[in-house]
Amino acid sequence: MSGIIKVENLSFAYRSQGTIVKDISFEVMQGTFLTIAGPNGAGKTTLLNLLCGLLSAQAGSIKIDAAHIESYSVKELAQKLAVVRQEFVPVFDFTVAQVVSMARTPYLGTFGFESQADMKFINEALEMTDTKQFSSRPLAELSGGERQRVFIARALAQNTPILLLDEPTSFLDLKHQVGIYDLLKTMQLEKGKTIVAVTHDINLAAQYADVTLLLGADTSYQYGRAQDVFSPEQIERVFGVRAFTGKIGEEKFFIPLGKFAKDRSRIGRKVDSS
Amino acid sequence: MLTSEKLAVRIVICLAVLCVVMCLCAMVGPQKVSLRKVFAGPGEEPGGNIDYEIFVGVRLPRVILAALVGAALACSGVVLQAILRNPLADPYILGISSGAGLGVIIAVLSGATWAFWGGSPIAVFAFAGALGTVWLVWCIGHFTGKSQVTSLLLAGVVINAFFSAVIMFLTSIAKSEQVHSTIFWLMGNITEKSLSVLGVSAACIFAGIIALFCISHRLNVLTFGEEEAKALGVDTARTRVIAFGFAAFITAIAVSLSGLVGFVGLIIPHGVRLVFGPDHRQLLPVSGIIGSVFLVAADTLARTIVAPAQLPVGIITAIAGGPFFLVLLAKYSRKVSWLK
Repeated sequence: MSGIIKVENLSFAYRSQGTIVKDISFEVMQGTFLTIAGPNGAGKTTLLNLLCGLLSAQAGSIKIDAAHIESYSVKELAQKLAVVRQEFVPVFDFTVAQVVSMARTPYLGTFGFESQADMKFINEALEMTDTKQFSSRPLAELSGGERQRVFIARALAQNTPILLLDEPTSFLDLKHQVGIYDLLKTMQLEKGKTIVAVTHDINLAAQYADVTLLLGADTSYQYGRAQDVFSPEQIERVFGVRAFTGKIGEEKFFIPLGKFAKDRSRIGRKVDSS
Repeated sequence: MLTSEKLAVRIVICLAVLCVVMCLCAMVGPQKVSLRKVFAGPGEEPGGNIDYEIFVGVRLPRVILAALVGAALACSGVVLQAILRNPLADPYILGISSGAGLGVIIAVLSGATWAFWGGSPIAVFAFAGALGTVWLVWCIGHFTGKSQVTSLLLAGVVINAFFSAVIMFLTSIAKSEQVHSTIFWLMGNITEKSLSVLGVSAACIFAGIIALFCISHRLNVLTFGEEEAKALGVDTARTRVIAFGFAAFITAIAVSLSGLVGFVGLIIPHGVRLVFGPDHRQLLPVSGIIGSVFLVAADTLARTIVAPAQLPVGIITAIAGGPFFLVLLAKYSRKVSWLK
């Protein structure tokens, strides 16, 4: 069975920065939760932009649902994958309902009005993300966490098999970070969505993701089960930080240890708290 | 949520208001006109019903002209604010005014006297100047910057400054009688036009507005930026070309008909957005109609306030538009939600 996303020998370089993504290959099966992690400048967002067709690869190929990404029109691609970018405030005062309804743009006719079927997707997305309660409020009046939920609702209303998210929990507090990841996991499990999320949080990545792509600043990468990819050695090699690794049941957790860490003797030790 | 039925009802109500305002304004003037006599139709002999002749032959064409110009400028403002993602953009920020102004100066100085489809050489040169400037700004903006929105704005500002300097230079070396007519035109001036000019202009402006309405749902998404719009299936380059092209086209027609009428393209979209919300499927047609109402009323003031003399309508739009906009801003900002 072929994966819904298939990346083969992908390379990309910016003129000013040199090679960012080099010879990457991986395959994501439908209904999988993939996280892309790595230090700043490792090419996480660049890879996401390649996957959503915003950038064109200089070598290699990306297949979405068994067809080359270049073979899709912008409209067709928007029916295959939805993108949630880092939180922002729009120029004009659109309400939450208006923002979520924009998800149906790839399906609208000449005059651009939503049908009953479109409204069903919009209402479902609002309910699932618990954003219906403030659907008539302007987006700008919401908190960062609420806004992020609205953008996820929009992605859900787009009704695509794949969801790409660029650091969906940046700027959010712990409660909202967990809330967003719970929501994504629910969408994966209940709706069969394929989730691809760029993240800096390796604990959340290890807890929620099925597979992880760990990008190094030197264009190296490792792809595999999240629990396998994240190890103290990999974290130290990729991020340049030693980490304390523990385990609660099957869940791994990591505590980065800086030079002022109180108990330096435990650096790198693994503790099983189960 | 906006539905096509809801929008249709609102457009019909706004059009009814426009019709009433147009009728009332066509009755106002130094010569009083009775609507009953107007409805009685033309007399058996030419000039047999003076009220009808004044209403239909003189005032109505002028009122229609003001409505067309108001609609074109307001719709153009809506579209430019969306594609430039800048609420302060208006049809003139991209140098359209100075381009048209330069065309007029050239027409006046060259002493052209021919006519094209009933349009005077001034109107034709203004149209060509406005459209040519927009094309120039687009080319410069397109080839100079990574962010096309910023490049377009900067190219417009630079072209505007350059053409303004050329206009000042040419005005300073022109003869005084030539300067007078040019300055009047630069302040925005609505005068009677022939029916053929009105007919062709109306057809072009309606076609342009309908084309823009067809992409209005994509304009909503475009205000979120290039990346967001592409992720939502909008071909941003194509949409921007269509939007920019038709906005420039209807602005050029408006400018060639009436000179440089300021403020309409800026304040009407703002005002309508404050009351009805930013959904461009509604904002575009409603702004067009309210722009018509505003300019018809402003032109009526311009031709009656110091009658029998007449003021350029641009003076009225600037004087009335500013305070009107401030009141609207203070009253409605973030308060009215039932129409959105």
